[in-house]
Parts: sequence; C-alpha cells; structure tokens
Amino acid sequence: MNIWRLMRRNAEDNFIVASLILLILFFGFSSDNFFSVITLTTILNQLPALTFVTVGMTLVLIVAGIDLSVGSVMGFCAAVVGVAAVAWGLPLWMACLMGLGTGLLCGAVNGLLVAYFSLPSFIVTLGMLEMARGLAYVTTGSQTMYIGSQIQSLALPLPGIGVSAALISAIVLVITAQFVLTRTVLGRYLVAIGSNEHAARMSGIDPRPYRLMVLAVSGALAGIAGIFNAAYLGSADPNAGIGLELSAIAAAVIGGTSLMGGRGSIIGAFTGVLIIAVLQNGLAQIGVSEPTKRLITGAVIIIAVVIDRWRAKHASSS
Amino acid sequence: MTGSARLTISNLNKAFAAPVLIGVNLKIARGEVHAIVGENGAGKSTLVNILAGNLRKDGGEISLDGNIYEPQGPRDAYTAGIACAAQELSSIETLSVAENIALRALPQKNFVIDRGALNANALKLMQRVGLQNIDPTSSTEALSLADRQLLEFAKAISFDCQLLILDEPTAALTAPQADHLHSIIADLAAAGKSIIYISHRLDDVLDVADNVSVLRDGELVVTTAAKQTSVSDLVEEMTGRNQITSTARRDYVSDAGVVLDVTCLTTNDLPHPIDLTFKSGEIVGLAGLAGAGRSELLSALFGLVPLTGGTVKRMNNGAAHVVLNAGQAVRNGIAYLGEDRQSMGLFPGQSLLTNMMVPGSADIRTLQCIDHKRERDAGTKLVEKLTIRCQNLTQDIRQLSGGNQQKALIARWLHRDSDILLLDEPTRGVDVGTKNAIYDLLISLRQKGKTIIMASSEIDELTTVCDRILVLSDRKLVRSFERNDFSEQDILTAAFSEFTASVENQSTSDSRVASPLR
Repeated sequence: MNIWRLMRRNAEDNFIVASLILLILFFGFSSDNFFSVITLTTILNQLPALTFVTVGMTLVLIVAGIDLSVGSVMGFCAAVVGVAAVAWGLPLWMACLMGLGTGLLCGAVNGLLVAYFSLPSFIVTLGMLEMARGLAYVTTGSQTMYIGSQIQSLALPLPGIGVSAALISAIVLVITAQFVLTRTVLGRYLVAIGSNEHAARMSGIDPRPYRLMVLAVSGALAGIAGIFNAAYLGSADPNAGIGLELSAIAAAVIGGTSLMGGRGSIIGAFTGVLIIAVLQNGLAQIGVSEPTKRLITGAVIIIAVVIDRWRAKHASSS
Repeated sequence: MTGSARLTISNLNKAFAAPVLIGVNLKIARGEVHAIVGENGAGKSTLVNILAGNLRKDGGEISLDGNIYEPQGPRDAYTAGIACAAQELSSIETLSVAENIALRALPQKNFVIDRGALNANALKLMQRVGLQNIDPTSSTEALSLADRQLLEFAKAISFDCQLLILDEPTAALTAPQADHLHSIIADLAAAGKSIIYISHRLDDVLDVADNVSVLRDGELVVTTAAKQTSVSDLVEEMTGRNQITSTARRDYVSDAGVVLDVTCLTTNDLPHPIDLTFKSGEIVGLAGLAGAGRSELLSALFGLVPLTGGTVKRMNNGAAHVVLNAGQAVRNGIAYLGEDRQSMGLFPGQSLLTNMMVPGSADIRTLQCIDHKRERDAGTKLVEKLTIRCQNLTQDIRQLSGGNQQKALIARWLHRDSDILLLDEPTRGVDVGTKNAIYDLLISLRQKGKTIIMASSEIDELTTVCDRILVLSDRKLVRSFERNDFSEQDILTAAFSEFTASVENQSTSDSRVASPLR
C-alpha cells in the first residue's frame, strides 16, 4: 500500500529511470564492449561538468526562468582558472576559488537584472552567453592554456575508491539539491513561485530574492563545472562548454522539468544527464555516425516531452 | 457582539481610470461579522484588495486596532494580522494540499520542513473546514472547485489573524458545506476575530452577519444591522440610481423576421436548457450577476464552446444554418466581442487600421494581396461612421481611449457586414460620455436591421438601450422582460432569485459548480 503510493508519487522519476535501464541493457546487448571499464570511465568522466550545469538549470527552470549563459560562463571560469594558475602563478586552490567566484558573479549579474529590473531571463542570459564567451577568449588570448597535471588529479579516480573527486561532488550536489528542493522551505518557495507567482506573492513571498539567488547559484555551479572541465582536460580551453546550455536544458526536460516552471526534479534531471551520456557513448559504440547520433538525440528529447505531456494529461483526467 | 473598533476606514478613495471607491467610511468592531454587498463593479473587490495589500489606496485613512495601517504588500497585511480568502482561488497546483495551507509559514526543524507537523497541522485545519476526506500530502491539482475554495478558507484561518476577509467564500460550495463554513465564522467571531464577509447570496449574508454595508458605485450608501434589514431592502439600496440619459429611440418593429433560433441549448456551464429566438432590428440585453452565465451564453451562441445539447440556428432568407463553431458563426454574419478587450480583441502595438481590418475581407484585396489604398479608404469610412476619435489611422491602438478601442472592434465586425452582434460588456471601462456614444451607435445599428445581443452587469444600461432583457441567475434563464415592463428592481430581484433560492435547493443539486471562480 505504502510502496504503491510512493511509486505513484514518484511515477515520473520511475519512468525515466526505467528508460535509462532499458537503454543501458539495449546497448549492453547490441555492443560487445559497452559493459567495459573504458566505456564506463568515459561516461563517468563526461558527467560532472554537465551534472553541475544541469542542476543549476533545473533550479532556474523551476522558477519559470532559463539560463542560456551556463556553457559560456563555464568556459570563462575555466579560462580564469587557467590564467590565475599559469600566468599569475597562484596556488591551485586559489585559482579554483577565483573560477568559482567568476561564475557566481556572472550568475548574480544575470539574477540582478532579471529579478530587480524585470528583464526576461531569456534575453539577459543570452546576452551573458555572448559576453562570457568573449571574456573567455580575451582572458586566454584565444589559446588553450596548459595548466598541468596537478589539476587533473580532481578528475582522476581516487585511489581506493575508483571514482574521481569530481564525480563524487557531482553526486553529492544532486542529492543535496534534491533534498533542498523537496524538503526545505526554500525549495517549496521556488516551486510556488514558478507554479503561480501571483499566488505566491499573495502568500507574502517576495519572488525577487529567490529569482536572483537561483540564477546566481546557476552561475556558481557553471563555475565549478569550469573547474572540473579544466581538470578533465588538464588545461583551460576557451571553447569549453559551447552548446552545453542546450544539453543541460535537454537533460532537465527529459527528467520531467517543465519549461513553464513550477515542476521539476533534480534526480530526474540527473537521470536525464545519464540518458544523454549513455546515448552518446552507446550510439558511438554500435558504430552510429556523428550526424545520426545527433538526429537520434534530438528525437529522444522530443519524444521525452511528448510522453511527458501525454502522461500529464492522462494523470489529470483520471 | 460589539466591542472597541478593530478596523476603522475613513474617507477611503481609490481610482483607476474612473473613481472606484469614493469617500468610504467603515467601522468594524472586535468579534463582529460585517457583510459588504453591492452590484458588480460597486467596489467590493477593490476594497478587499486594498486591505489585503494588493492595491494602494489613493487617499483616506485605515487604522487597525488604533494603529495606522498602510500595507505595502500582502506580507504587511499578514504581519498586521489580516487574513484574506480571495475570490479568485490561488492554490499552487504543484504543491501538496498541506503545503498550500501552510505556505506562509512552513514549519521547519533544523532548516528542514517538518513534514509530520506540517501534515498534522494541515489535517487539523482540514477536518475543521470539512476536507477530512482528502490526503494532506496529495497534490492540489486533483481537487474540485469546492474543495479548493475550502482550501482557500483553511489557508486563511491557518494563522491567528485578527481580521478575516472572505470574498465570496461560498460561491462554489454546496448548502451543507456553506452552513458548516458559517458555523466556523460564528466560532471565530465569538473568539473575538473580526470578519468581513462578501457575498452575492443575500440570504447567507443576513444569516451570518451582524451588520451589512451596501456599496453602490464606489460609495458606501448605508450600514445597517442585519436584523433590521431584508433581502428586498438590500436590493433596493444596491440599485437606486438612474444617471444615463435615455437616448432617442424609434419604435420597435415586432413583426421582423427571426434571425437566430436557439432550441434546448445546454453546455457544460449552462446545464439548464435554453430556448430563445432573436429577430432582426432588436437589441436584447442579458442581465445577471457575475457568474450567472451571461458570458457563457454569448460564447455558446458564437460556437466558442461545444454544446452538450440543443442547436443554434442562423436563419437567413428562409434558409437555416446550424452554427457549430466560431468559423461558421462568422461566415453566417455573426460577430462576437469578448468581455476582456485587452486579451480577447485588441492587437496591441498595431495600428488602428490593422486592428479594424484584421479579418481582411475580400473588398480590400486586389489579386489576393491587401490593397493598402482600399484598406485606408475603408478604414477612413469606418472611422467617420463610428466617430472614432484618433489622430490618424496609423496610430497605435493602445493610445486610443477604451471607448474608442471598443468602437474600433465594433468597426472590425461591421466591415465584415455582420448582421448579428454579440457584445459582452461593451461599455466596460468606458467613461459616461463615450458610453452614450456607444449606445447611440448600437441604436443606429438596430435601425438598420442589425440584431444586437449584449451582456452587461449594469442594469440601467440595459434598460436604456434594449428592447428586451433576459435575466440569468445561477446559470439559468429565469425571466424575460419586454421594454414596457422594465424595472431595475424587478430585474435585480430576478438576478438574485436563483442565488437566494439555491440555499434551499442546493442539497438536491450538489454537482453545481460556481462560475464566478473560473
């Protein structure tokens, strides 16, 4: 009885997890080496950056906003880390802190303009997308900067555990964010604002600080993604994260987050990240060409939304 | 039940385009249930919104327990101890029932929501208001309208307020539910809370309130003890005005042909079958309170909502066409102007000309392309014909006054040569001078044989312009008045009839859904 109710309440999440498992099984059987250590590490290595950005994106989407700047901000933050560590010779922890601060600052600027100047987040973050990318090129002189093996240790499997510090922190973030969203007043307020801003305001909730905060958090998470991206590559690439915002939106949407706001799940979005990563690698394993891969990934996003709509309609009519 | 004053309002003023509240004085004691009644647009909701912190007053003074009360937002109202259950329901669908009730102050322990306390508190309140059959953890989405209204009430009494404002709290409720709600109100009053109670159901009002104030056109005309007044007295106080100067009329030709024949019409919103015929060259008014079904009937005639029974037939030179959807209605010469000009008619940011010519009928096209010269000529003619006041045809429609915007929309349909005009609140938000101009326009159209069916919440407007008035009450067509027996008071009594009668009838028709809350 209780389990049934729990399953029904989490029906959406269950459905996505089931799709993920089916996908893994499919690739496992149709490819000889999908279940190999190399494939697994490839997939896991791709995860942290996208996960961080997707968690931020999901929070922004829940308050009925959007953050298009995350990919560029990530590239810019990676560039800052590179310049601080190499050109200025700062200790690595300080360089990373500067990367994080840069992301937070970009996000706060977005948030300030959206929340307190009532500008549409689509436009503001579109502007930030261009600006941050430009700044990334300026800081690095449009060159990839080699940082060194020291930063790579973040992305390498930790001895004895077998997974990287980056992956662990991504998973910790997912769990924390899901908890905050479902179990704290802050999380419930975000849902309330995204679902019905007028009603939220009538209940005495001022939406502005929450909108500001969510975009600032999204920027900071993009900053962390930039650090991990630099760690993964061992260098700061000013082109890092091009188009990442679209993957993040796709992952969130596959995970059942509504672009209209008020509805979303961090766990679901993380499953969306996994689905995209498995799809990318699985399709490559079974020898699907790059153009076809993109075609299939695109179709999966649309199908996910169609199914979600259909389910929502079905649920409300029953 | 009287004590020292909790709320004192003196000389309160508020205006939007026109004054909405004029010098309102009101005093409410501790433990008093004070009802406010009035026709649609009398200013009740504005008063509530000012007290709830959603609107700022223009002038006057409000004091609460002797302190000046000037809310800057809903939060100030809450901290001052004012709770408000608004007329439009404000549940947040993606949150649970319990979360909705406690949204203002979610209980937490170490920064984490205390689910146990949250659900237990909610359940207590839900049992109190009669929602005990609902799981507090379930989503609000699935709740019926009546349950949502009770949820709104539970939310309002969820904290220890001093003044509770209830705006149409029983509109969606069945009689037993409403009775239960009234008993809670009595308990709250006995505990020293003050309550402002707003309702169309005058019987309920007399039942539950200690004192009743009547608002008419933004002015508070009288405050009496509920025991010393009656439904008919209240109705008389609510009307009692006649400002519109009747414009010149010519005789009504009663032997004109039928142009629209409605038989046994029902829709989801109008459960009681309606039979009507409309003739050419007449103006028919639809009267009724908010939620009585006026707009619903008009949109059904235009084919905007699917019929659940009956037919709408357009009679044209002996031929009958059944109107099933809006496209057929338009092709058969039926035009419709929605209640909300801004969202249902205007194309803001576009020119007056574009707004008038949107349907783009054949006579302004050359080789299928819009002929700008002919379009301008046609536009100029319409502007002259309807005396639309504008700088030029390319002026942004938003810069025109409400009345002229309305005329532009009428022009749009005249240009298509529509014979039947369905107008929902054609003079809403329009000043008196322009109102009279619109009346003149309607009457001149009638003289040319057009049929006009107009819904209005202003009865004096209907008695001025119409040849016939149909009264809807609680989604039922209750009476029809011919021009020579128009009486504002009879019409209003008819408009209230089902709402007052429904208190007795309701227990047998539990399925009713009130449309004011749509």
